[in-house]
Amino acid sequence: MTRVLEAQGIEKVFLNGDEETRVLKGIDLTLDEGELAALSGASGSGKSTLLSIIGLLLRPTAGSLTISGERVDNLSERKRAQFRNRRLGFVFQFHHLLPDFTAMENVAFPAAAPAGGISRDMRDRARNLLERVGLEDRIDFPATRLSGGQKQRVAIARALMNRPDLIIADEPTGNLDRESADRVLDLMREVNREDGATFLICTHDEGVAARCSRRLTLRDGELVLNVSGAVDDPPGWRPQADV
Amino acid sequence: MFALKVAQRYLLSNPSQTLLLIAGVALGVTVFVFITALIAGLAVRLTEQVTGNSAHISLEPPTRVARVLVGPDLPVESVALVSTFQRQQIRDWPRVIALLRANPEVSAISPRISGSAFLVKSEAVQSVAIIGVEPQGIDAISRITPTIIDGDGELGADGLLIGVRLAEDLGLSAGQPILLRTERGVERQLTIRGVFRSGLQSLDERVAFLSLQAARPLFVLPEGVTNIEVKLKDPDDARVTARFLAEATGLRATPWQEKNLSLEDALVAQGRTGSMIQVFSLISIIIGVASALVLSAYRRRAEVGIMRAFGVPGAFILWVFLLQGLLIGLIGAVVGCATGYGLCLWLEGITSVDGVPILPIAPEQGGYVAALVLTTLGATIASILPARSAARVDPLEAIQQ
Ligand SMILES: Nc1ncnc2c1ncn2[C@@H]1O[C@H](COP(=O)(O)OP(=O)(O)OP(=O)(O)O)[C@@H](O)[C@H]1O
Ligand SMILES: [Mg+2]
Repeated sequence: MTRVLEAQGIEKVFLNGDEETRVLKGIDLTLDEGELAALSGASGSGKSTLLSIIGLLLRPTAGSLTISGERVDNLSERKRAQFRNRRLGFVFQFHHLLPDFTAMENVAFPAAAPAGGISRDMRDRARNLLERVGLEDRIDFPATRLSGGQKQRVAIARALMNRPDLIIADEPTGNLDRESADRVLDLMREVNREDGATFLICTHDEGVAARCSRRLTLRDGELVLNVSGAVDDPPGWRPQADV
Repeated sequence: MFALKVAQRYLLSNPSQTLLLIAGVALGVTVFVFITALIAGLAVRLTEQVTGNSAHISLEPPTRVARVLVGPDLPVESVALVSTFQRQQIRDWPRVIALLRANPEVSAISPRISGSAFLVKSEAVQSVAIIGVEPQGIDAISRITPTIIDGDGELGADGLLIGVRLAEDLGLSAGQPILLRTERGVERQLTIRGVFRSGLQSLDERVAFLSLQAARPLFVLPEGVTNIEVKLKDPDDARVTARFLAEATGLRATPWQEKNLSLEDALVAQGRTGSMIQVFSLISIIIGVASALVLSAYRRRAEVGIMRAFGVPGAFILWVFLLQGLLIGLIGAVVGCATGYGLCLWLEGITSVDGVPILPIAPEQGGYVAALVLTTLGATIASILPARSAARVDPLEAIQQ
């Protein structure tokens, strides 16, 4: 199995004037290709901070980080941006779509901006992804006219656009109702199963965490639980048929 | 270019604000064009007033210098006496005329014998400037015959044309005889053949025209002329052409600007005022565009942050905002040039009773290329600051809201 993520001794200390806040206290974490990992923990335990560090949006105070075999903790800002673009995908709690663009353009954006335009291939891939997330009838809709759940599904399609090695999702369902949340998670599970894409999902939702192949729990900046196992659908849960 | 598409989309996303911004830029450009056209028109009108009725270049014999004589039987240094009494003249003027005729810049030539004399009418004696001209070329430099208000204007062998003020001073009218006496005491009886009102004070007050033939004996110049007055197709070429003619003929060539230094100063001062207004209208355009884009970049921090999170290069975001500035500048400049031209045409059409435009505006000289280039450039420069701040947005900030 290919190792997608290898984080060792990740520490993060925030300095506010004289005050030090130790948010992460030496995290060791590895993820293999095809894993679907859920990261949970109390509010303020450092989940978002860890995700930002793994997503190359924040530099750790100490520790090393290797993604897809490449040491990334000491890359220049430019290289980090390039690496994010090519190897990582992001889904955030708030969809953060570009309001002046259509669903298709939003999905294609991570590929189009560095390339200088939307090619036919990009268009086709963006359409396929939108079909895959069940939005084939919303392809040319302006982003502002989609519902919350639809926007989040567009955001997932966008995260997949550049075929990333690792998709980082920070509370992707945090803003959605039960039904939309389940649907979004189903989607990620499906992509994980079919494409072998690796996911690291931060969630407060026990129902979501329970359906992931690995469970991680942070407490006060330390990883206190790291177990992998078969994905069990909790009793009473039924996979929803795709529309 | 994808950045251009994004910039366009951003501008179109708030059409009323974008329209307002473009209107602001266009207004600044309109002012720029109007001022430029007005200053140019003023300069043209002033120049025309000065050059329309006078020579653009005057050719005269070189100033005399005392020559140092060297010879075996002379003292170490002897200086040839220069007679100031003897009139300076251009002897080979037909050759000079031929040379001038061959010059494509030259539009009119008038060889003259100029000197001062007195008009004597019984007790009254009035000093006048005498100009001897070729009869058929009397109007070559100044419009004289069309402005004649009394008499037929035929110079003939003994005719004299005088300005209206001079005629009034001496109580002269057409048909009357008059005695003309030069400084050297040569006298001659002439007849007033015309009184003109040229509108030029200097001419109307103390100038008398007669024929070249009549002037020769008066000033004892059997063949030469004292000066040759020249008009050019473009008065602005006077300096360059004067330099060329001086070299070609060996004569002293004085362009009109050197005879009208105060006009030159006025034109320069006017030009400076115009430049100031141009600079200020450009500055206001730059400030307007910059502030609008700073606001827009601020409002779009979240979006820009998400682009950054997805690893969109900073240069791309920089271009998105620079191109917004460029588009606003370009469109605003085109609209402003069009309205400025329209305004100038409209103002040019407003004329006083005698058909002269009230404002001396030159619509075709509105500095359109400069307005287009400077505004587009200025608006692009104005967007540098917001573009840079947008390109530096920290993606984390945007995600955490
Ligand atoms: N820039 C910062 N400066 C100082 N402290 C920070 C900064 N960012 C985060 N923290 C602190 O780090 C701790 C962890 O924050 P983090 O956002 O990672 O928590 P979280 O586990 O994601 O919480 P939640 O579940 O509420 O999203 C918090 O106590 C927070 O106050
Ligand atoms: Mg968080």
